[in-house]
Amino acid sequence: MAPKEILKIENLTTYFYTWAGVVKAVDGVSLDVREGETLGLVGESGSGKSVTALSILRIVPRPGKIIDGKIIYKGENLLAKTENEMQQIRGKEIAYISQDPATSLNPVFSIADQLTEVIRRHQNVTKEEALKKAIELFRLVEIADPEIKIWNYPHQLSGGMKQRIAIARALSCQPSLLLADEPTTNLDVTIQAQILELMKNLKKKLGMSMILITHDMGVVAGVADRINVMYAGRVCEVASTKTIFRNPLHPYTRALLEAVPNVAMKREKLKIIPGAIPNLISPPSGCRFHPRCDFAVAECASVVPPLVEIEPEHYVACIRAKEFMENGKGVKK
Amino acid sequence: MPSKTEGFHAIRSKILHIAKSSMTKYVLRRLLYLIPLFFGILIIVFVATRMAGDPVKLMTGLNPRITAEARERLTQYYGLDQPLYYQFLKFVWEMLQGNLGNSYAIRGGTPVTTLVGDYAWETFKLQLTALSFSLLIAIPIGILSARKQYSKLDMTVTTTSLVGTCIPIFYMGIVAILIFSYFLGWFPYGAAHSLDPSRYPFGSYIMDELWHLFLPAVVLTFAELAPVVLLVRSSMLEVLRQDYILAARASGLSERTVIYKHALRNALIPVVTYVGLYFGGMLAGAPITEKVFNWPGVGRLYVEAIGKLDFPVITGITVFVTLMVLFANLITDIAYAYIDPRIRIE
Repeated sequence: MAPKEILKIENLTTYFYTWAGVVKAVDGVSLDVREGETLGLVGESGSGKSVTALSILRIVPRPGKIIDGKIIYKGENLLAKTENEMQQIRGKEIAYISQDPATSLNPVFSIADQLTEVIRRHQNVTKEEALKKAIELFRLVEIADPEIKIWNYPHQLSGGMKQRIAIARALSCQPSLLLADEPTTNLDVTIQAQILELMKNLKKKLGMSMILITHDMGVVAGVADRINVMYAGRVCEVASTKTIFRNPLHPYTRALLEAVPNVAMKREKLKIIPGAIPNLISPPSGCRFHPRCDFAVAECASVVPPLVEIEPEHYVACIRAKEFMENGKGVKK
Repeated sequence: MPSKTEGFHAIRSKILHIAKSSMTKYVLRRLLYLIPLFFGILIIVFVATRMAGDPVKLMTGLNPRITAEARERLTQYYGLDQPLYYQFLKFVWEMLQGNLGNSYAIRGGTPVTTLVGDYAWETFKLQLTALSFSLLIAIPIGILSARKQYSKLDMTVTTTSLVGTCIPIFYMGIVAILIFSYFLGWFPYGAAHSLDPSRYPFGSYIMDELWHLFLPAVVLTFAELAPVVLLVRSSMLEVLRQDYILAARASGLSERTVIYKHALRNALIPVVTYVGLYFGGMLAGAPITEKVFNWPGVGRLYVEAIGKLDFPVITGITVFVTLMVLFANLITDIAYAYIDPRIRIE
């Protein structure tokens, strides 16, 4: 029995029309988020993770445009909705936490103002009630002295505190789906762990689903149920977190995992992925990873590998996936 | 009402109180800082004018019958024979009593305070009208242009503004007078009032004022419009890129709230700076406009006084302009603190 999906994206295509040319930031991405799960969206910067999240909310900044695809949320296509309908969904049904807590709060308004504003937008409450709710939210995200802190302005608070507030704002209307775009990237390592723990607990408490966007394999390992690896605007591998870490099949996923420093590694040189993410105005033909891939064959440059289910619940977009599956790490370069 | 809410309100009012008192302190500190600045400017201008020449020589130079003794007496009469520091202290002492001296040249020694009062009103009338209209027009246009960046509308606005910034005001003014006064005859050539009440349109003094104000105000508005449009546009573009705008949109706030609450408040900070600086420069920059439209304002008076070495008028207007500039700075600082809490609460 397949678990129920809360969000299903099919063939999402988002392009940016810049002076230099069309940037194919997200090019035919399909993914699904199941009820109550945390989906890790992993990839290097520039792989289209954030644009995917912004596309879900339909707030891709200019000159970006969603060209094609379907975003089915609770059975309804979000791309067919009007702007007004979308405003009712944003923040209420699907919430978003952006990557930099330092800049995600408006510097010229008090925290109370920014929180009650969202609460009053989606719930029919008075100012006083909204304020009470905001203070409860502060308790929820474990901020001390909520009655005083709520009157502060962003510049008076630390980064960790700001991220807690950003989380509080995102959760203010009990969304069913939370999009967390690198929520811990700009925080100190100690604070990172706290915030992740907090998000994990809140997710359980409120019964939300979550898409966690990150480039940090360590973060997804601890939080995500399933992982979706993206490269240059396309999905290359989808599987449960366990499978991804135990049996990664796509060469890019493997390279990513090898690039994570490990205490057990002992003086071994840390592997890096040669080259950089391609220019998405004129991306490589065929498999977009082939110019950087150790296992590339001639065919890789011409054939766009489809995402196929190589074993139950494990999807890989690589024409040599079967070989990797059968021979493990013994495949020749 | 439950006691919890009451406690909460008590804390809120307490914090608002602290914020307010820190605002008061902020304003007082700014005011204190202005005093030495004011006297510094005064000293520089006072010394500089006295080095510019001898007004008695200028007044009597073309009159061959004036004797050296008469010149001496005139110099004594104006107090110009005294040492400079004495003249300055005397000036400050009289200024503190509200007396800026009498003009050497205008209508047999009109008090400078009266002169400045009369002329300043005309300058304010013109400049404030133009400034208000240009802000009212420029801010929405700038916002619109930024929201539709690189669209045809944006291109048109940007190009027009650039051209507008490049045309000097005296040129625009003369062309406007040529077209609307000379060829079409719709507006007067200049001045702020009709001298003859029978010429008032509809016999109304107010209508006459507006009739005279229209052309210079429109020209000034256009001249001020262009840079403000460009400033609002670029500042808005910068703000719209920020994460908090994305976050506000992601919270489902309406586009109106996102633009006019979240973005505009931040985008206005540089505009406040500009207007503050402009307001200061407004009085100093006015002579050209006032000359073109023969407008009886402070700027024109200033230029004429300098030409006649009319010391009391020069220093009097300097006192006035300095006070205005400092006042504008104070207002700017207060506006900053109002807009941006990072300045208000340290």
